[in-house]
Amino acid sequence: MIGIIDYGLGNLTSVAGAVERLGFEPAISSDPDALGACDKLILPGVGAFGDGMRNLAERGLIDPLTDLVQKQLKPVLGICLGFQLLAKSSDEFGDHAGLGWIDAKVTRFDPTQKDLRVPHVGWNELYQTGDSILFDEVPDDSLFYYVHSYKMDTEDSEIIIGECDYGGRFVSAVQYGSIFGTQFHPEKSQRHGLTLLNNFLEKS
Amino acid sequence: MLRKRLVTVLTFNNGTLFRTKLFEPDYRYTHNFVDSWSVDEIVMLDVTRESGPDRQAFFDVVTSFAHDCFVPLAVGGGIRTLDDVRQYMQVGGDKVVINTGAIERPELITEIAQAYGSQCVVLSIDAKKNNDDEYEVFSAFGRGSTKLHPADWAAQAEELGAGEIMITSISHDGSLQGYDLDLCKLVSDTVSVPVLVLGGAGAWKHFVDGIEIGGASAVCTQNIYHFTESSIASAKTFLAKNGIEVRL
Repeated sequence: MIGIIDYGLGNLTSVAGAVERLGFEPAISSDPDALGACDKLILPGVGAFGDGMRNLAERGLIDPLTDLVQKQLKPVLGICLGFQLLAKSSDEFGDHAGLGWIDAKVTRFDPTQKDLRVPHVGWNELYQTGDSILFDEVPDDSLFYYVHSYKMDTEDSEIIIGECDYGGRFVSAVQYGSIFGTQFHPEKSQRHGLTLLNNFLEKS
Repeated sequence: MLRKRLVTVLTFNNGTLFRTKLFEPDYRYTHNFVDSWSVDEIVMLDVTRESGPDRQAFFDVVTSFAHDCFVPLAVGGGIRTLDDVRQYMQVGGDKVVINTGAIERPELITEIAQAYGSQCVVLSIDAKKNNDDEYEVFSAFGRGSTKLHPADWAAQAEELGAGEIMITSISHDGSLQGYDLDLCKLVSDTVSVPVLVLGGAGAWKHFVDGIEIGGASAVCTQNIYHFTESSIASAKTFLAKNGIEVRL
């Protein structure tokens, strides 16, 4: 069973559909016990950072999830906003604390840069800069679908496994032990996206 | 490098694809191409004019469609409140398209952007030249005069939190004569968010023009009539040959 964390935002249906397509059973839930009973967790993402954290808090999910991920080492994949929520903080619509599972912060794309339309929307490369089971059978430089106005910055280069280029390189995939995250949407990135998602479901 | 997008827009009336084949509704097309076609993104709009609050027929189509859709799906039609947005997201939308609801109450844009992020809000603008030969935004399926200039409205919407602008020429719609490039350029020069252009594409060359002359980040077509599996691929090959970076 794959727990898809429901915090009232997210494109849960899309993620659940992809999980199902890959032959796994998705369980969309905001109940800590139900999520705890799952083999793996996905923290999906469409939304704003502040609302995301507030909704997780309102559902009493922050401490139980932190325990599942950091103490019980249950594999988790954060997608897009879910990826950004893994960080310590974000400056989207004011300063907000994140889950803090990885040492990173989230900042807006530099809007002063010429010809750089924000949000960054569409298909762009994933440069595989580190080894990860996520990339098994995913060709380097494959295109994935991105849609975001903020990006993750980290000084811990060890956790960066993938980058993308949009007005300069930025972090598009991380792995820290059993914590995985992608800025792009694997569930919306056709064949390579499904392969990458399947790697997480099968091999993490 | 970020690729230019080729987007297919599907319009539905009472849950039935608005375009027909030999005058019979047929949305097998849509189910087939989601998996196998190289379209970059799909927009599904409910354009049922007298639907009132009941959109179940459309929601049913979106639900079944989204289940097998592994490219981004933008959905819309009649959105007036955050609750409407929630319903659209629940049936499988990745982002929402708003139009008349934002004209009636511009703060709707901000409400959605704050709850779901700007990247979730596509503002659709329908415009044409009015009797004074000036571009004007029209609401309610192109029937309601708003006195708004499309570039001004786009700029205001960006300020309010819209993540993308979809600009549609009412007078070019269905003409197959090409996009209204002046209109598109007016908008794309004004805003710094991505612009999608719709209305009038009838040849691959029009896609190139929309991007190079109109300044669009994504070129849209409603005319699925032409879009067999090979023709999407051939459109993209044509774009690539003309120096435009696309996902092949």
